[in-house]
Amino acid sequence: MIRRNVPTYIAALLIILGVNFILPRMMPGDPLMAIYGEEALVAMTPGLKIYLLQSFALDKPLWLQFLAYICQIAHGNLGFSYYYNAPTLEVILGRLPWTLLLVGCALILSATLGVFLGIESGWRRGKGLDRSMLSTFMALSGFPGFFVGMVLLLLFGVSLRLFPLSGALTPYSGLSGLALLLDIVMHLALPVSALTLGNLAANYLLTRNTMVTVLKEPYVFCARAKGLPERTIRYRHAGRNALLPVVTRTGIWLGRIVTGTLFIEVIFGYPGLGGLTYQALLSRDYVVLQGILLVVALLVLLVNFGIDLLYIRIDPRIRHAH
Amino acid sequence: MHISIGAEFRKNRFGQVGLILLTAITVLALLAPFVVPVDPHRQTRRSFEPPSALHILGTNHVGQDNWSRLVHGARTSLLVGFLVACAATIIGAVLGVSCALRGGLYDGIMMRLVDALIIIPAIIILILVFAYLKPDIYLIIISIALLSWAGGARILRAQTLTFKERAHIWAARSFGGNNWYVMRRHIVPDLSPILVVEFIHAFRRGIFMEAGLAFLGIGDSTTVSWGTIMRNAVEYSYMNVWSWWLLPVGLALSIAILSLTFIGHTLEPVMEPRLREEASA
Repeated sequence: MIRRNVPTYIAALLIILGVNFILPRMMPGDPLMAIYGEEALVAMTPGLKIYLLQSFALDKPLWLQFLAYICQIAHGNLGFSYYYNAPTLEVILGRLPWTLLLVGCALILSATLGVFLGIESGWRRGKGLDRSMLSTFMALSGFPGFFVGMVLLLLFGVSLRLFPLSGALTPYSGLSGLALLLDIVMHLALPVSALTLGNLAANYLLTRNTMVTVLKEPYVFCARAKGLPERTIRYRHAGRNALLPVVTRTGIWLGRIVTGTLFIEVIFGYPGLGGLTYQALLSRDYVVLQGILLVVALLVLLVNFGIDLLYIRIDPRIRHAH
Repeated sequence: MHISIGAEFRKNRFGQVGLILLTAITVLALLAPFVVPVDPHRQTRRSFEPPSALHILGTNHVGQDNWSRLVHGARTSLLVGFLVACAATIIGAVLGVSCALRGGLYDGIMMRLVDALIIIPAIIILILVFAYLKPDIYLIIISIALLSWAGGARILRAQTLTFKERAHIWAARSFGGNNWYVMRRHIVPDLSPILVVEFIHAFRRGIFMEAGLAFLGIGDSTTVSWGTIMRNAVEYSYMNVWSWWLLPVGLALSIAILSLTFIGHTLEPVMEPRLREEASA
């Protein structure tokens, strides 16, 4: 499984690097301006211009330029953002923890809740609880995450004033310790709920459907015949197998979750990578946009690789398959 | 693959709701010039007006009629969704089926590309591309379609692989049918239920992406888009105008996506026949 997926990750990386490399160099006019954005022209001195031209090998043929580009990235140099007056990597890494917090919380919440509800619902297939849960989550799965986010914001933020409207912290509050944690949680609550709700429905539907098919398998019948307690059959025998597609899908859905986070962050003015993307779009800070694309893609690939490893632990059949 | 799409809809109430909602939006969009007499672009001095007989949903920050913009936004959304779905389904079908029939190195390379495209978050690539190229509506459609076919191609390839070994395909081949003939006369007709499902998924993706990009400020400024309306409305969400400005548009977009999701769920048993006896919820 791992050996099979490595070419995929390499292909994905090449696509990202290719897009990042080709796009600015395709643009008419000064390539340096296309790479760095208009903001750079203000700060540009002749010396700096020569230095940048050389570090990107812009006076050389295209394949040498690509090599130079790869070398720069391998050294962790994603360029310099003249808008933020800081190295791009630094700008992005400064925002990354907030996005990781948001995505992490939403992923964990939606996966555990979704799998739990899916197993319970699939077990009670056709009964009242299963039917009502199925209908609820079906309806929920249709709503786009950012609409859920907007409604939550208008309802609990604007109308009821229960939660803060934007940001991740109360600025200049000087809070520390428990009060700071509570402040972060209050700011996190609405965006995480919006992200979780969308993903929860997908996890639930997938688990329930798998559970329904798994329950027809002979090994479940066998477990029953052995007289095992209900709970053991539900979780150890059927549930564990219903978990597999959720784990696989989490990797595939990660891109979608990142997309959802982008919009949620914009709606809630959250200072993560989504907010940064929005800012960079407004200020035409191309270097930062390229950096975000690269960092996000790398993270998504890394998580997928981690999931491959996890999969082997959950499903030992995979290890012996090759 | 002998599955009646009509039968799936008769059994599934969600599917019926989805069909009705989608039809309603489509009719509204087609009848736009008759339903709204006001030009969606025309600006007036009367901004932030509450709903009235003249402006059913009030006016926005530059005095444009909200209802008119909502209805014309539906046209953009449906047009983008429909064309993205057509393009993505065709690309997915041709590449998926040809991979299954040819196999070998071509198949190997294409499938790595497909997997890579499935993992990468498409929206971030689109954002970067459109930051450089000022897009018009057709460039947006083409770009979304080029990043949306991969999931379909994978499923279609897997299905074709199972068809490939069946007796009637062997029969067609023994009479001298080549890859192209077999694909056109046997495989694609057999795949049609799956193609419909893929079309619906791509349709939804297209609508979502267009609105999302416009919400971020990326779009064709000459067309009215739900995403742009929401982007403008969100900026004024602290005022008391959101209930007739932001909410109706958010709802319209949700209904469009919701209806396609329901239709997609209803047709899901086509892909996974083991679920069929369950689907009647």
